[in-house]
Amino acid sequence: MKTAMNDSNEVLVDCQNVWKIFGARAPAAVKAVSERGLSKKQVLKDFDCVVGVSDASLQVCRGEIFCIMGLSGSGKSTLIRLLNRLIEPSLGKITVKGREIAKLNAAELRDMRARYIGMVFQSVALLPYRTVLENAAFGLEVRGVARDERNKTARAALEKVGLADWTARYPSELSGGMQQRVGLARALAADPEIILMDEPFSALDPLIRRQLQDEFRQLTKSLGKSAVFITHDLEEAIRIGDRIAIMKDGVIVQVGTAEDIVTKPADDYVSDFVAGISRIHLVKAHSVMRPVAEFQSAHPHSDVNALLRTSPEADIGELIDLTMQSDRDAVAVVDNGTIVGIVTTRGLLRGVAGSPTREPVAA
Amino acid sequence: MDTSIIADIFDTWTDDALGWISDNGEWLFEAIRSVLEGTYDGILWLLQLAPFYVIAILGALLGWRLINLLSGLLIGAALVFCALMGLWAETMSTLGLVATATILALVVGIPIGIVAGFVRRFDSALEPVLDLIQTLPPYIYLLPAIALLGYGPATALIATVIVAMPPAIRLTSLGIRMTPHEFIELGQASGLTPWQMFSKIRLPFAIPSIMAGINQSLMMAFGMVVIAGIVGSGGLGETIYGAVRTLDIATSINAAIAIVILTMVLDRLTQSAARSANGGRR
Repeated sequence: MKTAMNDSNEVLVDCQNVWKIFGARAPAAVKAVSERGLSKKQVLKDFDCVVGVSDASLQVCRGEIFCIMGLSGSGKSTLIRLLNRLIEPSLGKITVKGREIAKLNAAELRDMRARYIGMVFQSVALLPYRTVLENAAFGLEVRGVARDERNKTARAALEKVGLADWTARYPSELSGGMQQRVGLARALAADPEIILMDEPFSALDPLIRRQLQDEFRQLTKSLGKSAVFITHDLEEAIRIGDRIAIMKDGVIVQVGTAEDIVTKPADDYVSDFVAGISRIHLVKAHSVMRPVAEFQSAHPHSDVNALLRTSPEADIGELIDLTMQSDRDAVAVVDNGTIVGIVTTRGLLRGVAGSPTREPVAA
Repeated sequence: MDTSIIADIFDTWTDDALGWISDNGEWLFEAIRSVLEGTYDGILWLLQLAPFYVIAILGALLGWRLINLLSGLLIGAALVFCALMGLWAETMSTLGLVATATILALVVGIPIGIVAGFVRRFDSALEPVLDLIQTLPPYIYLLPAIALLGYGPATALIATVIVAMPPAIRLTSLGIRMTPHEFIELGQASGLTPWQMFSKIRLPFAIPSIMAGINQSLMMAFGMVVIAGIVGSGGLGETIYGAVRTLDIATSINAAIAIVILTMVLDRLTQSAARSANGGRR
């Protein structure tokens, strides 16, 4: 389900080779990077500047939830702030809704932020001197929407996050999870096309976090919003994201679906990360099956047409169920009526364990 | 004696400068005096409009609404006590002086504080000036003021305004500067105009600090207004000064009690007003 690509592939947010360099001599460092292609280490050594984001490129499509996963200091918070220009990029091009945001003037930028890009913060940042309703209506108030109308919209947004009965309360009367719901309602009330989520659930306890993750995904999809979601938790990224970018030391190490990242980690760093992740619902039949010919040469007496059948998108959980129902220890993968591969018990075990999917030639 | 020569020269300069200012700036000081005394007379007229028991009842009601019933009753009783001591007119004069001086100090101080909160350089330039104002003995302000504005309430007022202003400036500037970073970021990400950022984020966050500044200014004004009795301010300060000169201990103690009552009543009322202004804050 999470790997399903979007109908429209309209790119809403486009980052091309974006750099952010912090430090007193940042301009000189930027020049050196663009002219001589200096590395991060050299920039730190030669210019005493810290590279926050290094040569990052990514595209977020309409309707997509794009997760950026990285540990603290990986540059993910800097990257998300580059998308609405809370931080100015040092180098590179960022386009939102077809407009290059570095070229917007102050009024155009305000309009872009107020109308099209919502943001939810880890600290929630609810104004303590305003009620929940007034907080949720904040974005609309800023845009000059009349009180009755904005309160109506804000009330509807609070209803969506299940806080309809709390409109007259103050933020200090709410629990952490409820406060973050108000933060989400505030972003939704302004009806932006893109929502930037900066580690919104990190400070919440695990149970509430999971609940909010599911609600967030469901809400975003049903409202047709696009989102960029920052997290330091790979499991959260997998639960929420259509696609995931892994960041390390300011560099995007890998971009892909959860399955891509778990089954084909780009480097040791990513494979360390995915080592503890359960593959049962991530790995699909097409990545653990072996070619039919190979299976037949190993099992010459087996009739592949007599095997139970499934689709290439069936996950390991389903494959295990099928294998358990059958007296054979293999399942045929069928795509468009033809058998495209065979999943054996050995293949299933490999898929769960995460080692290479190829079976040894001598079976 | 080299040093005394230098001191003499400096003193001559100071006297000459003061003389020049009072000769050439007469129209200005005349204007300042009429503004100060005009405001004071207006406020005093208002306070004297009602008999003492009406003011006492108003005080009690305010105390009841802002604090609680017991405080309200105490405030009412304390104000009646001032009248029973035969010091009601003086008490109201002092209240008028303090109110006038504090209002003027806030009208000038809060905008200065807001600018200082935004402009770091202005704030650092202001800092030594405020330090100077707050460390000099308050009597110092009375002498040039009496030379320029003459004997009377105007002199007392200008000296009190000067003394009452620094806390308002400092705490306003602090409040404006202390806006938590995440809320500035929220404002930016929501597309706020600079004016909205000020009115919807920075100012509301500064309100508790500004309220504390108002309370502090009020307390400074009370301290000064008593000292200003020497220059003919009228009110309880002058009563005390007169009593000290004639060694009339009983009257001086009565007036001192009236001042303590007035100070405490206003302190409690403004503090509670500040607290309720914070509304639903944590």
